[in-house]
Amino acid sequence: MQYQSSALVDDYLRTRKIPSTACSGCGLGINHKVVIQAISELGLKTKDIIWGTAIGCAGRQTFATWKGDGFAGTHGRVYAIARGLRVALPRDKKIVLTVGDGDAFGIGLLHLIHAARSNAGFTVIVMDNLGYQSTGGQFGFTTPQGAKTDSSPYGMFEHNLMSEGMDVMHILKGAGATFLARHTATDGLAAVESVKKAISNNGFSLVHMPYPCPTNFGSRHLGNRNAVNILRWMQKHTAPLGQEKPDTIWATGVYHDARGSRPELSELVWDSVGKIRRTGKL
Amino acid sequence: MKRFLETGNFAITEGAILGGCRFFCGYPITPATELAEAMSLRLPQVNGVYLQAEDECAAMHLCIGASLGGMKSMTATSGPGFILYADPYGWALGCEAPMVVMNSGRVGPVSGITGAPGQGEFYLTRYPTQGGNFETITLAPNSAQECLKIIVEAFYLSERLRMPITVLGDQLLTDGMEDISVPENDDEMKEMGLRVWPRLYHKGPDFYPASDALDIPPVQMGYDTGALCSDWTPTVEGYDIEEVEEHHKHAYRLIYKVRNNPQLYEDFYEKKYMDDDPDLVVVSYGTPSRVVNTAVERARSEGLKVGALRLINLWPFPDRHFSRKTKYLVVELNWDGQLVREVQRAAPKDAEVKFLGCCGDLPTIPDLMETFTKMLKNQPLERKGWVLEAW
Repeated sequence: MQYQSSALVDDYLRTRKIPSTACSGCGLGINHKVVIQAISELGLKTKDIIWGTAIGCAGRQTFATWKGDGFAGTHGRVYAIARGLRVALPRDKKIVLTVGDGDAFGIGLLHLIHAARSNAGFTVIVMDNLGYQSTGGQFGFTTPQGAKTDSSPYGMFEHNLMSEGMDVMHILKGAGATFLARHTATDGLAAVESVKKAISNNGFSLVHMPYPCPTNFGSRHLGNRNAVNILRWMQKHTAPLGQEKPDTIWATGVYHDARGSRPELSELVWDSVGKIRRTGKL
Repeated sequence: MKRFLETGNFAITEGAILGGCRFFCGYPITPATELAEAMSLRLPQVNGVYLQAEDECAAMHLCIGASLGGMKSMTATSGPGFILYADPYGWALGCEAPMVVMNSGRVGPVSGITGAPGQGEFYLTRYPTQGGNFETITLAPNSAQECLKIIVEAFYLSERLRMPITVLGDQLLTDGMEDISVPENDDEMKEMGLRVWPRLYHKGPDFYPASDALDIPPVQMGYDTGALCSDWTPTVEGYDIEEVEEHHKHAYRLIYKVRNNPQLYEDFYEKKYMDDDPDLVVVSYGTPSRVVNTAVERARSEGLKVGALRLINLWPFPDRHFSRKTKYLVVELNWDGQLVREVQRAAPKDAEVKFLGCCGDLPTIPDLMETFTKMLKNQPLERKGWVLEAW
């Protein structure tokens, strides 16, 4: 990659929180670096971005890592907080949210859909560690079908949001999101390019970024905590969009790019308020 | 001064605007809907924003976001929506985000009766969220004009104490039409005793100082101060931490910034015929207090030594009003008795504390007079209502 991690840390992250307290072999840092590298390549500074997080592994491990201003919401609600914040902040400030799969696609899905509906100008990075891992390793709504977890000891048999032709990306596209992409932690620079597009979008962007959890998911489903083993397993089940194989779980790439196609929430709000003030009507 | 014949919801809207509110997010619910409607009409005229959320939980979270971004914000609901504030209310308390929350009480439990007044959330406004380790402030006006004043005051308190403030009303208060005077300039504001505190921002780095001090500006996003706020226990800088000592400092501040500054809210009460140590003190808040006041006047004219104490500041509970050993009658719009429990706790152990409840409708003056007379004559109070008699 073009940048050394240490340089990115110096520019953008707080050394008090980096390295994080994530488990040995956790893939979160790979995705975190992808996002920071994208920010760096866009030439953005710490003052340009307000960083929001949720709870769980993804939320807690990324909270307060950003050198600039940061906040963390309760589980699933950060999309609602970010909408209010978006309206209140000056337009030149960007908001990036790093959240987990349970947060985005479980408890927060309603708020996420309404953030997409309103084309709220922020970027949601869903750091998907294949389930609820900070609570010990239960299945989530994008956990691969058949996976053995602490709450699916016989294998996860429920319908979920990422198999049998269903995809949470379709829901978000239908709800009005203007940029959607998916990249696993093995995607490298392709992921950086998508995150750059997501952050540069003046509207609602989401990048779904599954990453390996060797501690819970690996030990339960794959039989060991070997970090390389679960990375290889994810790579085996990852393929670019359009080149899927029968055993592909994660088809990666840009799912939807409609940047600039709809007015952004806060612009729409303030333009409307301005018109009403001037003319008494819309 | 402009005069209107309008609803309590109108008065709340105008009060909020005078208090600096420029962001309202709500979700339609009877009887708070008209407030949301009035906000949607008025806020854009004063460069403010009205947004409608997908539910009450989201509505208060949007207010949190707007507050973090520097806008004075407000949301309003009724009981079934207030319970959905449980999640964001805790966040706003913990992160010390200023905002105002209006709850117009109707008849519960659950959806109950939508178009009738109730007072079932007295305790819920004290404990609106999980976890404890905080103090809350609740104010309860009893007229449209007082709604305006109390909402302005709620914004003032929320800024100085950097916390959410609950205003507790009921369906009659918010839907009822009354004569309302709205000030048109600063002088008229002052004349009416309305105070406004500007939104400031915290420059850091100690965003959560271990102190009960007032007037510490709230943590704000967008000033590049390295501001941090989260749902976890914060260090003074705002980092998340799992240490009991840090937690104690944080909880101490959340509790004692309110308890140690009672001068800000303790004057919110009304006393009638209370100067001659009455033999019976009738305690109430909100709409029923207006019937109580009339009944107490009637009782005095008939020579009964009865006084009326109306609470406006409900929480922190003003124990000091109940130090005298006498008879207390607590009148509430619920059948289970909530305020009466606090009066029992605060009053001397050998004081006589009785409860007169009704719900969905106001108590009548004959009912109140009969109860006053029986209590003064030491006669037992009968249980009223067909259900209770059948038991």
